[in-house]
Amino acid sequence: MIKKILIVDDSPISIKIIKSCMPKDKDYELFDAADGQTGVEKYKELKPDLTFLDLTMPVMNGFQALEEILKFDQKALVIILTADVQIKAVAKAHDLGAFSVLKKPPARGAIAAAIKEADDALSERG
Amino acid sequence: MLKNDNTKEMITTAETDLLQEIMNIAFGRATSDLAEYIDIFVILSVPHIKLLQAFDLPEYINKEIKDYDNVSVVEQNFWGKFKGNAFLVFPSGTGKRLISLFHGGDEIPDLNPIHELEIETFLEIGNILIGACIGKIAELLGDVITYSPPRVVVDKSIRGVVYDNLNDPDNLAIVLRTVFEFNEKNISGYMFILTKQESFAWLKTALNKFLEQYE
Repeated sequence: MIKKILIVDDSPISIKIIKSCMPKDKDYELFDAADGQTGVEKYKELKPDLTFLDLTMPVMNGFQALEEILKFDQKALVIILTADVQIKAVAKAHDLGAFSVLKKPPARGAIAAAIKEADDALSERG
Repeated sequence: MLKNDNTKEMITTAETDLLQEIMNIAFGRATSDLAEYIDIFVILSVPHIKLLQAFDLPEYINKEIKDYDNVSVVEQNFWGKFKGNAFLVFPSGTGKRLISLFHGGDEIPDLNPIHELEIETFLEIGNILIGACIGKIAELLGDVITYSPPRVVVDKSIRGVVYDNLNDPDNLAIVLRTVFEFNEKNISGYMFILTKQESFAWLKTALNKFLEQYE
């Protein structure tokens, strides 16, 4: 079951928006990081059940961060939440091992559905 | 430089951050539209927002694109509650490489005067990137926009191009800047959106309204 969620995004307002989209009936522990590098470090430290990851970020972009996270934890559940909705960007994120890709701005329904999917995947793993 | 410290209060840090995120979303959508039209992957960067006096814009843009001697610019004006000018800036000589992206085949040889195809290509790219980006900003903020036809200036100094568009240099402007790179052709460029002081009040209200849906 998903308890800990890490949000990696360079925009403080975007983090605030994503947090506001979280289902209100769940009591998730929410953490955040402001760039890919910090996101990878926080992932290693916190080992979250689910990570929301932006792609366009300073220091280390989301593609690189996704690779680093999956190198550390092959089973990491990473949802890409991005403004970069080019077909090739979405395909690259899937190829690298993202669990799913959502476009910005986020909608509450889409976030809830994505978390449920991730929860189901986590349950199947046992 | 801003003359008056009070002007810094005209747009708060939170509003700047939200505008940056909206620009990020809008330009992301614009590049996706372009990528559907031509087989290309655009590498995006984090947008930057700056408030400054219109008079200082040419110097600001000159500094931003200091690596380019001359530039080719697609410029389009837009009107709605969100009102201003958008500039798509490419380094001089980019047009020939862009032609091959749009029309296939190898790069065409240097032609003088500027080949009509080069201008058409800039117009097409401008229409897609500027139109989709401004359109998405307007959509997210609840506005409807009218556009002027795009205008192309090839291989000129940026100073003349931008300065011509400053109707009132004493006005304040919000500059939204993003840098992009067409991966396959190693072409990079800038987009600047200048929104005029008369749009500020509406913009602040619209940004706050946008945020309300997430409260």
